[in-house]
Amino acid sequence: MREIVTVQVGSFANFIGSHFWNFQDEMLGLAADPYGDPVFKTQSLNMDVIYRTGETHQGTATYTPRLLSIDFQGSLGSLSSKGTLYSEGSNEPSEVVTWAGHVSTHASEPQKKNLFLQSLYQEEQDAPLTNGINGEAKDSQHEIQDTDIVNCLDGGVQFWTDFSKVHYHPQSLYEVNGLWMDAKQFDNYGIGRDVFMENLRGEEICDKLRFFVEECDHIQGFQFIVDDSGGFSPLAADFLESVSDEYTNTPVLLYAVRGPRSHMSLSSRKQTVVRDLHDAVSFSRLSSFCKMIVPVGLPSLSRSKTSTFLNIEDENPYHCSAVYAAALHSTSLPFRMEPLGPTADLSDVSGAVDVNGFVQMLAGQSRQNMVAILDVAMPGPCLSGKQDKQSLLGNLQPLTPEVVEDVDDLQAVESMIVHGAIGSGGHRLSVSEVKNAVHGAYECATTRPMFCHLSAARCPLPIPLPFPSIFGNLVGQHGALLGSPILGSSSRGSLDVHSIPMAARTRSSCAIMPFLENRLANLRKFGIERGCPGTELLRSWGFGKDELEDMGETLSKMVRTVDPHSDISSDSD
Amino acid sequence: MSLRVLNPNAEVLNKSAALHMNINAAKGLQDVLKTNLGPKGTIKMLVGGAGDIKLTKDGNTLLKEMQIQNPTAIMIARTAVAQDDISGDGTTSTVLFIGELMKQSERYIDEGMHPRVLVDGFEIAKRATLQFLEKFKTPVVMGSEPDKEILKMVARTTLRTKLYEGLADQLTDIVVNAVLCVRKPDEPIDLFMVEIMHMRHKFDVDTRLVEGLVLDHGSRHPDMKRRAENCYILTCNVSLEYEKSEINAGFFYSNAEQREAMVAAERRSVDERVKKIIELKNKVCAGNDSNFVVINQKGIDPPSLHLLQQAGIVALRRAKRRNMERLVLACGGEAVNSVDDLTPDCLGWAGLVYEHVLGEDKYTFVENVRHPHSCTILIKGPNDHTIAQIKDAVRDGLRAVKNTIEDEAVILGAGAFEVAARQHLLNEVKKTVQGVCLWYISLFTTIETTIEIHMIYIKMEQRAQLGVEAFADALLVVPKTLAENSGLDTQDVIIGLTGEHDRGNIVGLNQQTGEPMDPQMEGIFDNYSVKRQIINSGPVIASQLLLVDEVIRAGRNMRKPT
Repeated sequence: MREIVTVQVGSFANFIGSHFWNFQDEMLGLAADPYGDPVFKTQSLNMDVIYRTGETHQGTATYTPRLLSIDFQGSLGSLSSKGTLYSEGSNEPSEVVTWAGHVSTHASEPQKKNLFLQSLYQEEQDAPLTNGINGEAKDSQHEIQDTDIVNCLDGGVQFWTDFSKVHYHPQSLYEVNGLWMDAKQFDNYGIGRDVFMENLRGEEICDKLRFFVEECDHIQGFQFIVDDSGGFSPLAADFLESVSDEYTNTPVLLYAVRGPRSHMSLSSRKQTVVRDLHDAVSFSRLSSFCKMIVPVGLPSLSRSKTSTFLNIEDENPYHCSAVYAAALHSTSLPFRMEPLGPTADLSDVSGAVDVNGFVQMLAGQSRQNMVAILDVAMPGPCLSGKQDKQSLLGNLQPLTPEVVEDVDDLQAVESMIVHGAIGSGGHRLSVSEVKNAVHGAYECATTRPMFCHLSAARCPLPIPLPFPSIFGNLVGQHGALLGSPILGSSSRGSLDVHSIPMAARTRSSCAIMPFLENRLANLRKFGIERGCPGTELLRSWGFGKDELEDMGETLSKMVRTVDPHSDISSDSD
Repeated sequence: MSLRVLNPNAEVLNKSAALHMNINAAKGLQDVLKTNLGPKGTIKMLVGGAGDIKLTKDGNTLLKEMQIQNPTAIMIARTAVAQDDISGDGTTSTVLFIGELMKQSERYIDEGMHPRVLVDGFEIAKRATLQFLEKFKTPVVMGSEPDKEILKMVARTTLRTKLYEGLADQLTDIVVNAVLCVRKPDEPIDLFMVEIMHMRHKFDVDTRLVEGLVLDHGSRHPDMKRRAENCYILTCNVSLEYEKSEINAGFFYSNAEQREAMVAAERRSVDERVKKIIELKNKVCAGNDSNFVVINQKGIDPPSLHLLQQAGIVALRRAKRRNMERLVLACGGEAVNSVDDLTPDCLGWAGLVYEHVLGEDKYTFVENVRHPHSCTILIKGPNDHTIAQIKDAVRDGLRAVKNTIEDEAVILGAGAFEVAARQHLLNEVKKTVQGVCLWYISLFTTIETTIEIHMIYIKMEQRAQLGVEAFADALLVVPKTLAENSGLDTQDVIIGLTGEHDRGNIVGLNQQTGEPMDPQMEGIFDNYSVKRQIINSGPVIASQLLLVDEVIRAGRNMRKPT
C-alpha cells in the first residue's frame, strides 16, 4: 500500500479540501450504490491510498480521510472539533465530575446548521429505517428539498464545513486558538511567525500528523494544500521544516493556494510593499521545504480562460475552491491507480505513478525546476473527431498565476491526466482511445514538450450535491459540451450536471518565469537593496540581512534553472 | 490633534478618556477572572458554537479561549500568559493584581493626581515588597533528598484550586513522585521527561503514575506478542522500510528484469539492517527466557515486521521523538542511529512490556524498569473535557513542585503574604518615602536652584506615598477575592486578618469559617517564584497603562478594503 497523508493549512486550503473530500465521498458512494453508473465501480482506483479504516470505542468500523486540517478556532462552524463519528452520543451528561464547587456555564450561541447539514443529519437518523425501501413519493419530496439545498448553499456558505458531507476523524481537525486577533488581521508573514512555536502548538500538530503516519505501512508522500496568502504561511513553513526533518525521505507535494480575497487591490504603497514582500518571502520559505511546489489561484478566475464554460463569482470562495479542488482531484488520481501487474485490466486506468515518481519526473529531470504549473480543462473537451485536435491542448488553461501563455519550451516536462473523456458520439472513451487521441493532439501541436507522461481513467468527476451552480448552459448532464445552449437558467449545478470529464496537466516549463521573476525583483527592490522601504518590516518578521540575501540567491537560482540566460538572475552582485 | 491633519480618519482619544478606557479594560478582565481564584472558586464550562465543551478553572486557559479584541486587555492578557510560561501559575493573580492597581489608581486620578506620581509610588512599593518577600519566604533545604512533605503541601495547594479534594490529594502524590523521578542532582529539571498520556476510559480516580513509559501506539503485526516479560529494549532511529533512493532510480532500467533486480537490491539493504538487529537479539536472548523489543523512530514496513516477528521480536515504529529520550532515561541503554555497531550495551531493560487496546487506539506499557529517570502520568477520564481539565491541573502541579525545588523556598499562602506585605508597606515603607526624597534633594542642592523648586519637589515626592498606599491596598485583592468566592464578608475578613498581623501573627484566611488561620499549620504554601513574578510584572504593566495619555486608532480604518 502506498498511502498519502493530506495536510490542509489555512482557510482557503480548507475550502478546497472540503470540495476535494466531497468528490472522494461521492466516488465511494457511487461505487457502493447498486444502481450507480458501472463506470465508478472500478477496482483499479484504490481509495485506501487517501482514506484510513478505523474503529470507534463502540466497535463501529469507520472509513475517514487520512487528513490533517489546520485552521482558526471557530472556522469549523457548526462542526464539532472532535468530529461526529467518535463522540459517544450527543446527549452526554454535561455534569462536572472534577469540581465540587460552583460551576458557571458560558455557552456561545449555537451555530445553526444550514439546510444541507440538517438534511444530512436527518438522513443519518433515518438511515436504519428506510434501508432498501425507496418509495417514489419520498423521491419527489427529496427533489424539492435538493433544489432548496443547492440554492441555500449558493447563497450563503460561511464556513468550509457548511458544504462538507464527509465524516472526519477527531485527529484530523486542529484549531489554532489563543491568537487574540480576528482573521482579517492575520494577513502577513510577520503576524503568524511565532504561531507554530508558541504554546506547544507545533508539538500538538506534529503529534496529530504522526498519528496518521504511524499507521501507514508504506507512505508514498505528503500532499500539502497551504493557503499562503497570510499568517498561515509561516505556520506551514515551520511545520514543513519539521516534517522534512522527521520524515526525510518522504516526498512533499505542495499546493500553494490563494483565495480570491487575497488578490484585492491595495490602496496605499505601503500595503503594496507589505503584500509583495509577503509573497516573495512566503514563496521562498515554503519552496525550500518541499520537493515540488505548485502555485494555484488566479487573481480573477471568472475572467480567465479556464472558466469559458463556467459561471463563477470571483468573490465567493465556495465557487472558486470548487474549480481548484476538481483540478487537485484529477492530479491525485494517478497516485491511487493500481500499478500495472501482468493481469492488469487495461480498460479502466493507465499511467499509474506514485508521488515520488511524479515529483522526480517533473522536478528532477534534466533541469531541476521544482515550481510547476497546474493547467485544467473543466469540463474536458470531446476527444475524437479529426476536426478539433487542438481543442484538448487549447482547453487546458493555467490555474497558476503570472505565467506566460504561449511559450515554446523544448525542455518542458508534463504530466497529464484525462479522465472520464467523452467521444464525439457522446459515449465514454476507453483508456486506449484516450491515449490515441492525446497522442494525436500532440502530433499536430506546434509546440511539443520534451516529455509527457499520460495517465487516463474512465471514471469522470462525479458532481456531489453540495456543489456550486457554476456550469454554463453549454454543459450537458454528463459533462459533454453541447453545440447550442440549453434554455433556462444560465447557471447549472449539481442537479443538472451529474458528472463531468476532466483533463488536468502539471508541467514544468519556463512559462513560470514571470512568477519567479516578480518575486525575486520584489524581494530585491523592497528588501535587499540599500535604502529600500522594507528593511525594517522584514527585520520585524525576523529576517536579517544575511538571510534575505540567501533567500534572494535561492530565488535567482530558481530563475536560472528555468532560464540560464535571464537578465534578472545575474545582477545579484 | 496634529495627527488629524496627517490622517483625517484617525480616531484620537484624549487624556482622560484614554486613561479610563485602559482602567475599564483592566477592570473588565479582572471581573472575568475573579471568580476563578482559590479552592472555593467557580469552575467555568465553556460551550462552543458547535457544542464543544471545555472545562477550566485556570486563568491561563481561560484567557487563551477568550477572543479578546480590546488592545489594553490583550496587553494585560499577554503579561498574564507570559507569567504562566515563566513560572507555570499565577495567571489569575496577575490579572487581578493589575486590575486592582488600576482600580486603586482611578480613585486618586479622579481627585486630580498626576499618574506620574502614582507610578513613582508603585516603583518604590515594588522594590520594598520584593525586599520584604525575601525576608518573608520560608527557606526549604533541597539536598540530595528533598523534603517530600513540603513538596506535597505545595502541590496540594495548587491542585486543590483546580480539582475536587479527593482527586487533588490523589494527584498530589503522583506529581511529586513524578518530579522526583525525573530529577537528577545538579541538573535543571526537565518536565518534558514526564510523559502525560490519557485514555478515555473509566474514571478520573483511575489516573495513575507509571514508572516507565506509556506509548500511544502498538506493534503493527498481528502475530507479535501482546505481553512480554524481561525485555531488552532497543531504542533506535533507523529506517527499516524500503524507500526509493533519491536519484532518478526509476529511469535507470530498460526492462522488467533490471527493474526487479534493482528493487531486490534495495530490499536487500533493508533486510541486512533487520538481520543485524535479529543477530543482536539472538546474542542476548540465547539460553534465557528474556524477550526483545525494538522501538524505532523511523518506519518499519510489513516485510521487516514479518522478519522481526519470525525472530520473536516485538517492534514498534514511528515513536515520538521525545519518547526516544524518555525511553533511554526510563530503561537505560542508548538510542542508536545505525545498526552497524550494535552491542548489548545499547540495550535498555524493562520487566514488563504489554499492549492495551481501546477501539482503534493502542497503548504500549513499558513498565518495571530498574532505575527510571522518566515516567508517565496516565490520566483516565470518562470524556475528553474531563481529561483535558485534569491534564491542565497536572501540568500546574508539576510546575509547582519543580519551582519549589529550584527556588529552595516557599511562601505562606491563603493570603498571608499579601496581608503581611501590605502592613509592612503602610507601617514601615510609607514613612520612609520622604526620606528618599530628602536624599534626592541633597543631590539637587549641590546645583544652584531656588528654594521654591525644592519645596515643590518635596511635595511631589511626598505624594508618592499615595502610590505606595494604592499599591498596598491593591495587594489585598487576593485575600478579598478569596473571601468573596467563599461567600464571606470581605470587610470582616480583612479587618480580622490585618488585626492579627498587627499583633504580629502571620495568618491567612480559612475559607471554611472566615476566621484567620495559620497557613503553616494547614499546609498551604505558594511558590516563591510565582509571587515574585507577579509583584515584578504587575506594576510594570499598570504603570505603562496609567501613563498612556493618548490613544490613536489609525491602523484599523486604513485596513478596510476600498
